[in-house]
Amino acid sequence: MKTIDVDRTLCDNHGQCAIAAPDVFRMNADGELEYEATFDDALLDVVEEAIDVCPVQAIFLKD
Amino acid sequence: MSTPTVQVPYLNISDPSFAMQSEELRAAREQSWYARTNYGIAVLRYDEVSKLLKSPKLSQGSAKWPAHNGVHGGLFYDWWTKNLLVLEGEDHHRIRRLLNPAFSPRLIKDLVPRFQALANELIDAFIDKGECEFIRDFAEPYATRVLTILLGIPESEWPTIARLASTVGLALGVTFKQDLDKVDAAVAELYEYAEGLIKDRQANPGEDFVSRLVLANRDGDRLSDEELRNALVLLIFGGMDTTRNQLGLAMQSFMHNPEQWELLAERPDLGGKAVEEVMRINPTVTWVTREAVEDFTYQDLFVEKGTTVHLFTQSSGTDPKAFPNPEMDLLGEHAPHYGFGGGVHHCLGHFVARADMSEALPLLASRIANPHLTGGDEWLPDSGNTGPIRLPIGFTKRS
Ligand code: HEM
Ligand code: HEM
Ligand code: SF4
Repeated sequence: MKTIDVDRTLCDNHGQCAIAAPDVFRMNADGELEYEATFDDALLDVVEEAIDVCPVQAIFLKD
Repeated sequence: MSTPTVQVPYLNISDPSFAMQSEELRAAREQSWYARTNYGIAVLRYDEVSKLLKSPKLSQGSAKWPAHNGVHGGLFYDWWTKNLLVLEGEDHHRIRRLLNPAFSPRLIKDLVPRFQALANELIDAFIDKGECEFIRDFAEPYATRVLTILLGIPESEWPTIARLASTVGLALGVTFKQDLDKVDAAVAELYEYAEGLIKDRQANPGEDFVSRLVLANRDGDRLSDEELRNALVLLIFGGMDTTRNQLGLAMQSFMHNPEQWELLAERPDLGGKAVEEVMRINPTVTWVTREAVEDFTYQDLFVEKGTTVHLFTQSSGTDPKAFPNPEMDLLGEHAPHYGFGGGVHHCLGHFVARADMSEALPLLASRIANPHLTGGDEWLPDSGNTGPIRLPIGFTKRS
């Protein structure tokens, strides 16, 4: 199963991933990213959308 | 009172002589992370701009722009109040989700050979003269024709599109109210263009950008024809003048840093870095506007609900606290700039703008040496969106 890895040195908390895949990524009250590394297979499409849309390309999928 | 108070600087940001790259602004930034202005507060330093740009306590400050100008109805008003830029929360996110896939960097890459061919065609037309008016001869046709390539409009129609977009742009200027009839007429014409495109792609969907938008579907949800039309007009409006201005500012920055131009000529692979460096030290969008949705305290400052907050891009991108060596350096490792804004309203078209400018700049550098001003340049004011209106330059053709 694939897991999500966000490179925190790149992530700039733009929150575009949370718009694309709200079931996996969210922004907390301080405007900082929180996410689940594992996700339901049915969400793969939206996770890939989140990867594409991240302005700094900080999101990766690992096997 | 015995509380120690830091002197908070004051900036008159709508004074036409107000300059971003000035001693006044550098001194203000040295003194304090924010300044008071004649229109809300201005955030000057990198860390604070970065934080507040993405703060859930601030929303898009531009929604009330027509109302500020006494405009409460008409085509422009209806379009403006329903477009992605000013929508918030789920209304914004829903549209953004449906638009995003068409802007995927993987799809934009396919357009690169066309961007290169376009840049070379434009350069061919002036290179033997040893001079050009860089905005008229390169930046404007390049920025506009990139948009027609993206949208699949015949490239020959770019002058019409450019004229309509500039007319709509009057809506963001101080003479908005007087220009309202012209603005509304231009919005009507852009609507017709967009509606024609949509009808055409609905009848004959292909692999192109507008077809992707027409077919965009998420869990059964789609863009209505009206939503799609509004979005296409926003792309034309938001993508053309910005790219034109940013290319003009790039030329200005390289003329100040000739050794960086030579480096780019030798190393075309630095095109992407060139774009980032230019947008960090010389961004066209000099501030992004936000509005406080609730009362909150940030550091030493109480911000009342409704306060306008300007996040300064050039000032943050050259803040010595974040960039000990803020000079342009294509080989340096610098933190990201906010020339494309940030947070939920982060520029939707940035992959397009980055791809087209990072092709244009190294092609220019590899073909013309020693670009320099020849006089007669004219500039937009520094407030809001800046850049050259006319930029006559001379150069030596490289053999
Ligand atoms: C795509 C999205 C953009 C939106 C929504 C947007 C929004 C705004 C808004 C609402 C203002 C009003 C200003 C204020 O509160 O002071 C503003 C300032 C301005 N924006 Fe943008 N902007 C966008 C990008 C652009 C683009 C693409 C242009 C032009 C090419 C542009 C040009 C301006 C100008 C000229 C001002 C006037 C600043 C002044 O008061 O002198 N903006 N922008
Ligand atoms: C160098 C060129 C460009 C610059 C400097 C630029 C800058 C910006 C900035 C600063 C914003 C954020 C405005 C805010 O938060 O108030 C923005 C938003 C936006 N830009 Fe760009 N832009 C450029 C090119 C483009 C292009 C080529 C397109 C379309 C093809 C585009 C479409 C948009 C849209 C639709 C938004 C609104 C996004 C939203 O509110 O969710 N921009 N742009
Ligand atoms: S979109 Fe990218 S930068 Fe923004 S929060 Fe998600 S991972 Fe971080």
